[in-house]
Amino acid sequence: MKLTRDGWTGLACLIGSLVLFAFTLGLRDNPLVPIGPGFYPRIVLAITAVLAGWVLLQSFWQPVRAGKGGENYSLVAGVFAVFFLYVGAMPFLGFRISTVLFMAALQWTLEPPRAAKARVVLGATALITTVVSYYLFEGYLQVLLPRGRWTDF
Amino acid sequence: MYELLLDGIQNLLHLKYFVPLAIGTLIGVIGGAMPGITNTMTVIMVLPFTFGLEPLQGLSAMIGVYIGGESGGLITSCLLGIPGKPSSVATMFDGYPMSRKGEPGRALWLGIWASFFGGLLGGIFLVGTTGPLASLALAFGPWEYFSLFIFALSMVAGLTGASIAKGLLSGAVGLVITIIGNDPVMGQPRLTLGIGWLEGGIPFLPVLIGVFAFAQIMGDVEKMGRSAVDPAAELIIPKLVVSHAKVIWEILSRPVMLLWTSFVGVLIGVLPAIGGSAANVMAYDQAKKFSSHPERFGTGTPEGIIASEAANNSNVGGSLVTIMAFGIPGDAVTAVMLGALTIHGIQPGPLFISQEPKLAYGIFAAYILGHFIMIAIMLVGVRWFLRIVLVPKSILFPIILVLCVVGAYALNNTMANVYVLVLCGLLGYGMVKGGLPLAPLILGVILGDQIEINLVRSLMTDDNLWLFFTRPISGLLLFLSVASVLFALWQHKRGQKKDAVPEDGADF
Repeated sequence: MKLTRDGWTGLACLIGSLVLFAFTLGLRDNPLVPIGPGFYPRIVLAITAVLAGWVLLQSFWQPVRAGKGGENYSLVAGVFAVFFLYVGAMPFLGFRISTVLFMAALQWTLEPPRAAKARVVLGATALITTVVSYYLFEGYLQVLLPRGRWTDF
Repeated sequence: MYELLLDGIQNLLHLKYFVPLAIGTLIGVIGGAMPGITNTMTVIMVLPFTFGLEPLQGLSAMIGVYIGGESGGLITSCLLGIPGKPSSVATMFDGYPMSRKGEPGRALWLGIWASFFGGLLGGIFLVGTTGPLASLALAFGPWEYFSLFIFALSMVAGLTGASIAKGLLSGAVGLVITIIGNDPVMGQPRLTLGIGWLEGGIPFLPVLIGVFAFAQIMGDVEKMGRSAVDPAAELIIPKLVVSHAKVIWEILSRPVMLLWTSFVGVLIGVLPAIGGSAANVMAYDQAKKFSSHPERFGTGTPEGIIASEAANNSNVGGSLVTIMAFGIPGDAVTAVMLGALTIHGIQPGPLFISQEPKLAYGIFAAYILGHFIMIAIMLVGVRWFLRIVLVPKSILFPIILVLCVVGAYALNNTMANVYVLVLCGLLGYGMVKGGLPLAPLILGVILGDQIEINLVRSLMTDDNLWLFFTRPISGLLLFLSVASVLFALWQHKRGQKKDAVPEDGADF
C-alpha cells in the first residue's frame, strides 16, 4: 500500500513521539515532589502518538492525490543551503562579513544577474543591507552582533 | 476608564511614542501592499528594532504595523487585482471590478475609509470589553486556566485546516516543543539529548519567526522562475482623485451593514488564531446574504468593499482583546507582541490592565491613533505604495532572512536562538509540505508552558482530577473543548467546511 502525504506526516510524527516517549522513561522521579519531570511529557507524547496514529490511519482511506507540480524544489534546496552556510559561518566570520556574503549569494541564487548593472545592484544591496543593519542595531538599538572567531570583526 | 484613555492618547502624542507608531503604520501599509508579504512577516521584520525601545514604543510600532498592514493590502487588491495579503482577498472581488469600470479612486477610498470606521468600531469593543473580561478571568484558578488553554487549542485545531486530526496533531507538536528543556518544578533536563543550549528550553519567538518566515518564503521560492505573468509589467498608476465627503457618506449611509460586518470582524478576532482572512471573507459573505441585490456582488458594488475592509480592521481590535484579557494571542501578530512584552518582563493576562494601566491604555490609544495616522499616510502616499510591487523578491527575501536572524539573535544575544530559528524553519516548511496547519503549532508552543504549570499547580494543590470537571468554569470550558472538536468533526463529515480559512494563507 502506498502512503499518501498525510500518511507520511502521521508516520513521521508517530515515530518521533514514540522515540521521545522512550526517552522520558529514563527521567527519574524526585521523592520530594509528587509530580515527576516525566509526568507531563508522557501525557503530551502519548496524545501526540495517538493523534499521529489517527492521521496515519485516516490516510489509508484517502485517495492518493497527485501534487500540483511545477514547484521549484531545487531553488528551495539552494536557499536552505545558502542559509545554513550563513548561520554556520557567522560565529567564525562575524555578522558583517557573513551577511555581505549571504546577501550576495542568496540574491544570486534566487535570480542570477545577467547584466553588469544587475551585478552592481546585487553588490550594492548586499553592502547597504549589512552596513545599515549593523549600524542601526549596534549603534542605535544596542544589540551586540556576533564577532567572528577567525576574523575578530 | 475614559480619563485613562485620554491620558493614554495625550501620552501617545509625545514624539517619543508617536514616531514609532507612525513609522510602524507606514511600514505596515508598505508591507500590506506587497503581495506575498503578510502582516506576520512585516511584524517579524519590525520585531528586532523594538528590543532597544521602551515597551510602549515597541508595542506602538507593532500596532501601527498591524493597522497599516490590514489597510495596505487593499491597495493592490483594488487597483491591480492582486491581494496584498490573505485578509484582502474578498476586497478584490468588488474593488478590482470597480477600478476596471473607471472608478479606481472610489474603490480604493471606499476600502480605506471602511477600514478606518471598522477599525474604530473595533476600538470601542476593545476599550469597552477588555477590562470586564479581565475581571472575569481574575476569578480563575489553575484548573480554569488549564481548561481555558485546552479550549483555545482545541478550538484552533478544529477551525484551521481541512482535518481536525491534523489540526490537533499540529497543536500537540507545539506542546512537544515546550517540554524540551528543564522541567519547571525541579529543573531536571528533559529531552535535551545532551545539547547544552536546549536546557533553557526553546523560546517561542525564534520558533514563531522560523516557522512563519520559512513557510512563507519557501512557498514563494517554489514558484519563482515559473510565473508567466509579471504584475509589474502592466503597472499603470491610475488617477485616484475622489470626493472624500461622498465616499464617507457612501459608507455611513449603510450603518447596519457597517456595524454588523465590523462585529463579525471583532468576533473572529476574539477567537484565537483565525485571523483577518476569515473575517474578510465571512463579512463579505454576510453582506451578500443580507443585501437586497446579492447579484451585484462581484461586479464592483460598494457594499462588498465596505464589508470586507471594515471587518478585517475591526478584527485587529478583537485580537487585542484576547491577548490583553487572557494572555492568549488572537493571531500571529499578537503572538509576536506577546513575545515582545515578555522580553520586557511583562506578562499579558487578567492582571495586565490593573498592574500596567499606562501600558494597557497606551495600547488602546495607539490602536485608535493608528487609524488616523493610516488615513494621513494613505492621503499622502497611496500612489507611491502601488510601486511596491516592483521590488523584486530576490532582493526582499535575503533582507527578510537577515532581519529574522538578527531578531532571533538579539533576544538574548546568543546563536542558540538562531539555531532554533533554522530548525524551526525546516519544521515549518516541512509541516506545510506535510499538510499540517501552522496555527495550532504556534498556539501549542505559546501555551505549552502555561498548560504544564497550571496542571502541576492544580495537582499539587489537590490531586483530585475530578476538580477539572466539577469546578463550574473549568468544567464548562472542558465541555466546550470537547464540543468544539465534535462540532468540527461533524462539520467535516457533512462536507460543509468552506474555504473561508485558507490553510496556507491563514494569518496565524
